[in-house]
Amino acid sequence: MKKNEVLALPSMPLQSPTYPVGPYRFFNRQYLTINYHTDPDAIREALPEPLEPVGDIVAVQWLNLPDGEGFGAYEAAAQVIPCTFKGEPCNFVSQMYVNNTPPLAGGREIWGYPMKFGQATLKVSGDTLTGNLHYAGEHVAMGTMVYKHDAFRKDWSAEKEMLSRKQVTLKLIPDIDGTPAIAQLVGVKFEDVVIKGAWTGRARLQLTPSVNCPMADLPVISASAGLHIVTDMTLPYGHVLHDYLVK
Amino acid sequence: MKVEQILKLPSMPAASPSYPMGPYRFIDREFMIVSYITDHEMLRRVVPEPLEPNPEGLVLYEWIRMPDSSGFGDYTESGIVIPCLFNGEPVNFTAQMYLDDEPPISAGREIWGFPKKFAYPKLEVCSDTLTGTLHYAGQLVAMGTMGYKHKASPESLETLAKNMTKTSCNLKIIPDVDGKPKICQLVAYNLTDITVKGSWLSPARLSLTPHVNAPVADLPIKEIVGGKHFIADLTLPHGRVLFDYIKDQAP
Repeated sequence: MKKNEVLALPSMPLQSPTYPVGPYRFFNRQYLTINYHTDPDAIREALPEPLEPVGDIVAVQWLNLPDGEGFGAYEAAAQVIPCTFKGEPCNFVSQMYVNNTPPLAGGREIWGYPMKFGQATLKVSGDTLTGNLHYAGEHVAMGTMVYKHDAFRKDWSAEKEMLSRKQVTLKLIPDIDGTPAIAQLVGVKFEDVVIKGAWTGRARLQLTPSVNCPMADLPVISASAGLHIVTDMTLPYGHVLHDYLVK
Repeated sequence: MKVEQILKLPSMPAASPSYPMGPYRFIDREFMIVSYITDHEMLRRVVPEPLEPNPEGLVLYEWIRMPDSSGFGDYTESGIVIPCLFNGEPVNFTAQMYLDDEPPISAGREIWGFPKKFAYPKLEVCSDTLTGTLHYAGQLVAMGTMGYKHKASPESLETLAKNMTKTSCNLKIIPDVDGKPKICQLVAYNLTDITVKGSWLSPARLSLTPHVNAPVADLPIKEIVGGKHFIADLTLPHGRVLFDYIKDQAP
């Protein structure tokens, strides 16, 4: 393969790049988000400077992604910490678990989404919208929410605002000698968000301490509310908010 | 989290880094390598310049069982290695790799540019047959079979250990957050502190099935050369840049 063809590759491996060039459009992307009160000191510890914490509420999300362009069909779970960057409200994505290589590798390598391989599921079991997460064979998280209790609400502007809020990630890529090659705070905003349905309701959340999947490090003091959303949206490239290697 | 702590993190996520700092020690790493001759024109297409593929058209198809790997755990790997030349020096280029454990996938891609994807490889002794299989996205795409310890390798274990220090190289590609290339390099490393615990030669066969996202069959099998089975302890250290496609590229 010629050198100029190498430079045009979107990703490794050369013979079958793991992910194509973005942006990436998602259809019927389904969320279960459970907001909960936690320990503010644990939030401060988990949030990288110069991000600033706001309040004591964080979220655990389950995502079912049946149709992700370039990525396929998969499921994910994430922990999200609301914060501000220079006064702007953002969501810091602190942990993510997926069961599919293209979003795992593309997520880490392009935007610095903190993805690991975990088995998340989001489904309706009887009367309960149920999210589960298994990591390394063990059950580490379960979120449950009532199913479509406010079915006739038509104002979804709050949900659209939430999904359109800037996401922030901490992108870390080592150099071949082990020193940092990339250490950045990255910002990304979903585009062309279409809400197809949104519901709120009672929810509960259980997190089990696990060293390599430590969502329980932000302990659940009390679950405040559940949010269930179905959406189409586009994940574009992002931009550097802060570069830790530039003095 | 303070800036000093962030700069000391070995990897993402900050809450529980996927992999610790290297180097990485492997105990009882078991290899099955089936070597074969393929089409030279195809080989030319999948080897990135400035590497030169070996003139014989030799390809190594590998399964590696890693039960005890510091920082990474217990996992299995399968993939394709192509002997090449870099400025006249013999090197092994890793073309494809499939494994069932996230830290070595992320560390492999992010540190050394190993072209790793998640899949389910297996290496086990099934009655009289050392058997390697690879399932990708639910489908069987590769099966290697080898006779079990038919003959000890004629070389001494010390010679075999020395042979394993041969330079290996990968094509490391990491995009920037705006989608442009950020890192595009040929990188190299050499295994260290190698103890070979046993090595055997046996007849072998290899079956590769065409699959778009695990294209192990893109280098067709013209002729099987033979099978090698060996067990070793070794250390995988950090490496060095051989060629930088962004900086060294002639305009």
